Amino acid sequence: MNFGIVGVVALVVYLLALIGVAELARRAKQDHSPADHFLAGRSLGAFVLFLTLYATAYSGNSLLGYPGRAYRDGYSFVMATGFMMSIIVVFHALVPKLRPLSVRHHFVTPGDYVRLRFSGPWAKTLRLVIAVLMTLALANFLLAQLKAMGDVASVVTGGIVPYEAGVIGLACVILFYETRGGMRAVAWTDAAQGIAMLVGLMALLVWLLGESGGLEAITRAVAEKAPEKVATPSARMNANWFSSIALMGLASVLYPQAIQRVFAAESGHALRRSFAGMTFMPLATTLIVTLIGVAAIARFDIESAVDTDGVVPMLLAEWGAAGGFATAAALIVFLGALSAIMSTADSCLLSLGSLLSRDLLGAEGTDAAATRLGKRLAAVVLLATIPFALARELTLWRLIELKMELLVQCVPAFLIALHWPGLKTGPALSGIVAGTLFSVTLTFSDVTRLGGVHVGLVGCGVNIVVACLLSLLVRERADPASSGQPKC
Amino acid sequence: MNGTVRRVCLALIGVLYVVSVPWYREGGEAPAIWLGLPDWVAVSVLCYVGVAILNAFAWTATEVDDELPEDEASSLDGGTQR
Repeated sequence: MNFGIVGVVALVVYLLALIGVAELARRAKQDHSPADHFLAGRSLGAFVLFLTLYATAYSGNSLLGYPGRAYRDGYSFVMATGFMMSIIVVFHALVPKLRPLSVRHHFVTPGDYVRLRFSGPWAKTLRLVIAVLMTLALANFLLAQLKAMGDVASVVTGGIVPYEAGVIGLACVILFYETRGGMRAVAWTDAAQGIAMLVGLMALLVWLLGESGGLEAITRAVAEKAPEKVATPSARMNANWFSSIALMGLASVLYPQAIQRVFAAESGHALRRSFAGMTFMPLATTLIVTLIGVAAIARFDIESAVDTDGVVPMLLAEWGAAGGFATAAALIVFLGALSAIMSTADSCLLSLGSLLSRDLLGAEGTDAAATRLGKRLAAVVLLATIPFALARELTLWRLIELKMELLVQCVPAFLIALHWPGLKTGPALSGIVAGTLFSVTLTFSDVTRLGGVHVGLVGCGVNIVVACLLSLLVRERADPASSGQPKC
Repeated sequence: MNGTVRRVCLALIGVLYVVSVPWYREGGEAPAIWLGLPDWVAVSVLCYVGVAILNAFAWTATEVDDELPEDEASSLDGGTQR
């Protein structure tokens, strides 16, 4: 079953709506400064902030990669609900300290904090290294979204729009509305996309439960077909579970697009309310996609790991084959999935533009020229990423792991630096270099876990020990040391 | 008071995270079914429901200021390290 021409029409209507939102966002612009383009003039209220955080956090990986992983691993992937929730827990260590600094010093990018906090001869190198790590992680995330967009566009149109055209065409739409409307367009489209994603997932689960005879029937069917997927996990798997909670929690709060939403909030009160709501979303999203992946175990026999990313499209195709309401509902879920993917891709792209222009190239101006540079760099990165997206051999899950291992190395420079004034510039840089070399070397040697613990997390431990010990042992000139806050 | 509520909530969240991982069970056991799920999965899900509720309380009790406290702001204004 495919949606054919109906799918093409629905896709076109959806894309036209996005373009319309971009035009509204462009008209709402106050000026052409980087703060207005990249942070919506710091005007996001609690409701839009909540939905944009939600739509950005739950992506193509969540909608396609996670059910695929649950299909492969079974019920042990319930760990994903825990690690997605740990992100909102770890934000407690970041937001209350970083928010007032961001307001006072008009931060636009994470690098603005690093610039303020760290001084001395190694400060610029530290800022560049952090910017490179964040850029690599973001580009990796963007790549995963482009691949997922191509897949969904191809399925929703029954192949009328091939994978390659889906990747290129949808990337162009994102570039258009992100360039025209900046963060306002991204946040407004995220809000609508978040609602579509949530409604779509709920509808799919309700259908699946009804079709399969309820949750208990699904569990019994899986236990009969693949008993190892309901059995209690091994000690190694439990270690991996703890490790995933720590890795995802620590690394995800350092996504530049997440940090920039802390800067873009209209008030601390709005941020607090948004996070209080966000903490429930893993139950409404990650748990649901896990159950969807598990339910698919009893329905399909998929051999290839890459193909398991297609579990949700396969279920939707089966649902839509019933015709009438079911077809329309399945189509809405598809568009919800596409929304989730595009909302994450647009946030990555927006952050990449600001990160490259301000943190890597040092364009710290507040004028339209700095904004233009950010837009152009975002376009260059997007065009450079597309060829990689057209190669389809990697699974989405592997992509997530790679970027987390890099991003988690930035933990000392933010989470420790905000709370411990004794962390010095040179030691922080040494820690990041040591942790990154450790993680990358092991990853390239095909070692992704040590006793079930992610090498990135072990590298982060090395990083923290080096940074803290050297900070205690080494005397360094021109570092803030008294107030727990940066000097400027 | 808010600070105490927040600290208590965060400590309980830590405990729930430890309980959510079935490290206390023998690996490979065939589980009983509870609430339609393998029992160890049901325990994890209930733990995560608890984490969500406590974390929402913790965020409600968290002060997220838009201005730096007076002492930190004055030390910033006096600093010329860069």
